[in-house]
Amino acid sequence: MSGESDIPFVEETGHEEPDETSGFREQPDFERLEASPTVDELFAPASDEPPFSRCVLTTSLHLSVAAESRTNRWTDWNGYTTPEILTTIDDEYRALRQAAALSDISPMVKYRISGRDAASYLDRLVADNVMRLSVDEVMPVVFCEDRGFVVGDGHLFRLGESEYRLVTEETHLAWLLDSALGFQVHVEDVGAALAALSLQGPHAAAVLNAAGFYDIETIRPYAARWFDLGGIPVYASRTGATGELGYELWVDPEDAPMLWARLFDKGAEFGLAATGYAVRELARIEAGIPRVGCDYLGAFAAVDLADASTPFELGLASLVDLESGHFTGRDALRRLKQREPRHLVVSMALDFPEPVQFCAVEREGAIDGTATSIGFSPALGLNLALARLRYRTGPVALSVEVDFREGLSVRRLKIPARLLTEAVIGSPMRHAVPAPLLAEF
Amino acid sequence: MRLADRSFDAIVIGGGHNGLVAACYLAKAGKRVVLIEASDHLGGALATGEISPDYMISTAAHLVEAMPRRIEKELKLARNGLRFAARNVPAIALSRNKRHLTLSTRRRDLAALGQWNAHDAAALVEFLARLKSHATALRPFLLGAPPLSGGPSSEAATAFRKLVWRARRLGQPSFEDLLHALPASIGDIVDETFEMPLLRAAFAFEALRGTAEGPYSPGTAFNLIYRRALQLETKGASLPRGGMGALIEALRRSAESFGVAIKTGAAVKRIIVESGVATGVETVTGDFLRAPMTLSSVDPRATMLDLVGPACLDAGLAARLAQTSRRGATAKLNLALEGLPSIAGLSPEEYGARLLVVPPLNEFDQAFAAFKRGELSDEFAMEVTIPSVVDAALAPAGHHVMSILIQHVPYDVAGGWAGQRDRLLNRVIETLSRYAPDIRARIIAGEMLLPSDIEAKFGLAGGEWHCGEMRPDQLLMFRPAPELAQYRTPLQGLYLCGAGNHPGGISGLAGQLAAKVALSEGRRA
Repeated sequence: MSGESDIPFVEETGHEEPDETSGFREQPDFERLEASPTVDELFAPASDEPPFSRCVLTTSLHLSVAAESRTNRWTDWNGYTTPEILTTIDDEYRALRQAAALSDISPMVKYRISGRDAASYLDRLVADNVMRLSVDEVMPVVFCEDRGFVVGDGHLFRLGESEYRLVTEETHLAWLLDSALGFQVHVEDVGAALAALSLQGPHAAAVLNAAGFYDIETIRPYAARWFDLGGIPVYASRTGATGELGYELWVDPEDAPMLWARLFDKGAEFGLAATGYAVRELARIEAGIPRVGCDYLGAFAAVDLADASTPFELGLASLVDLESGHFTGRDALRRLKQREPRHLVVSMALDFPEPVQFCAVEREGAIDGTATSIGFSPALGLNLALARLRYRTGPVALSVEVDFREGLSVRRLKIPARLLTEAVIGSPMRHAVPAPLLAEF
Repeated sequence: MRLADRSFDAIVIGGGHNGLVAACYLAKAGKRVVLIEASDHLGGALATGEISPDYMISTAAHLVEAMPRRIEKELKLARNGLRFAARNVPAIALSRNKRHLTLSTRRRDLAALGQWNAHDAAALVEFLARLKSHATALRPFLLGAPPLSGGPSSEAATAFRKLVWRARRLGQPSFEDLLHALPASIGDIVDETFEMPLLRAAFAFEALRGTAEGPYSPGTAFNLIYRRALQLETKGASLPRGGMGALIEALRRSAESFGVAIKTGAAVKRIIVESGVATGVETVTGDFLRAPMTLSSVDPRATMLDLVGPACLDAGLAARLAQTSRRGATAKLNLALEGLPSIAGLSPEEYGARLLVVPPLNEFDQAFAAFKRGELSDEFAMEVTIPSVVDAALAPAGHHVMSILIQHVPYDVAGGWAGQRDRLLNRVIETLSRYAPDIRARIIAGEMLLPSDIEAKFGLAGGEWHCGEMRPDQLLMFRPAPELAQYRTPLQGLYLCGAGNHPGGISGLAGQLAAKVALSEGRRA
């Protein structure tokens, strides 16, 4: 017997009328049940928009974006319907690298972190020193758990004296709340309450300037400012993971379609085009930026710790400050820094003129790593990849084996690959202050 | 000279028995030690108090069960005034039909039991032997720091492999028994071992005393083995002459003889951390004390989260510590009695025993169910001692004091405690009256400490007596958290030495082992 139940065991007592005074009950006492508040709560009408009932979400810009689609190719990004390709990848890529590309990045995960201890809370959360971040500045951050494995990465915006926004690729609310113990801080997922647009490309500043973002060119990289666009407040930051001059615009979801329309209205003459997720991925691969969930697993997503990574293994050592204040994982990272990394996430290039797919990366004939993101750069005519390779010292001769299909015939090729030590694409304009308002071709 | 102006090698926070033991060992090794205690007396929940003038009793804990003889000798407690009124106090389960049971394997007790139930007499011998052999296998775990778990360390695996090896040496059936007993509930174990309800309930209570578990909660059988293993270091349960406060007084004298500076009435506000190193403490009065080592015998959760603060800790560790459970389930009733209550069937010398008042297992389980719901149960399991029987100085001649531990009293009761204190008191007295009908008439004065009173009086979170429940998932390398299990903390120079650390209980071992770790690191540094 488990003996922990306190519900009286009801037995059939023949055909006798139930005795009022006996402890046995034939049916529940409805009056009592209805009076109790817990039952009322159970049958209370559900709110109009229960937060987790919908799995397929659309952003506030969905109709605007859908109007640009010529392909009907959609994909999923954090549960949001997002365009994979709107026209053709070549056109979209050309817009990004030679004109201006606008995309809806509202599916990014956004947290608002505020309260008296917001700064010290974030300083303990992320591996870098947050105290040096001024208002209207942005910094890339990586945050780890106790053992020094990366939980996720993202960008941290300082909106006010004690108000921050953390933008990440994956959701981390549980970890953010766990970390909040002992801090006077309020952590809130504002993903649905905030729309975001990304405007990237050499003409990005020019488009914004034409649309009424005056003095946009004076914003320094990783800085941000509020703009008033005919009554629409827009927070514009000079950020974006494309290796290009670019801005991200943060705006109320209700105002987002109007902002979108205005940008197209004023930006058409600069060659502004709407772009989808595929170009975003391609630009990221060209810039050599690993994405959590794709090129590495967050510490809590990795079942086997061998799959989790330290910041050093991800090439994010520059985001780790072991000397200033304490942060979660600092002690572990101090030890890990002395040791060799187990693996490295690297960028590599394949000199092959056609897009190919591959997975295994070989070193001297043996499989030595995995290609996690692959893209064909139209600008360079190269296959680029992010790959996770086992750490080895000494000379590196990498190759991959691809099945290359021409018509109905297939050839198995072994193609040499080379490691890239710096990003292959990086427009010098992205650092220029003031940003060029009219790029010269 | 003000304390803050002197320089020390070590600061011990908290003057409970573990804090005192740690301070003694540090001072014995030549360190200049200061011990600071928040309240104006030492000892924490080990205290002798006055119920009413001239009636003295151990206010909270009332028996010394786990303090190793070795610590007594090394700290010269006897020379410092520690005397025991009784050693090896037997346990007697009181029976409603006046045939009380002594839980021992002495020939006389066994013969009495054998006349009553021959099967159980044999089962008892076998059960206690098995318990002892399991406890022996576990013993080495309790004498040192627990193995380090997690990460690249294989200490835990090695330690458990050794445990398996030791257990195997006990013989195959015993090894299987141990594997069976580790996750089992005590209720299931006693049900399959004994026939007599009283014997079942008595051993169930022995396993559950002080925990927030029921007889059929998994893992409770291990509590009994663990408790038995702690007792291997000493000679059964002992009653210090003068109550538990006398043990603390002896420790205090010992500490002072080794040169420990003791400061009471000085609450620590925070532990000062400078770039990952604990460098001292700040008191609420604004004094700064600095020393290369700080040992805290305060609840590890409070030490790390309140005194150090989560900002200096990794978030995972802080969250794990916050989640460790503190469910107080034991209340204490102290009574001053005019004369000895007469318990029918109990011989005069047996009044000095540990008297177990236990309901049958099913009612015991109901009591736990009521506790879980936050209600007052009808029946309570109780441990009763009448220390004045063996220590006459505790009460005026002919008068007595009675100390009662009441199991399964919730911290919060439905409807609030204001109206229910008296109900609880009445139920307890009623239950006792079944065995000692004249007890109500003999009560002169009394005090009752509910879990909330224990919390307020001794600063024990949730009214939980052990600074962290003693249950398998919070013992050994999980006490108080895997990263903190070896008395070290992530902060250099800060050590944990309280009962919330391995092995727990009134053993002083945590204090001794923490001091050893701190000394060895100090030497290395």
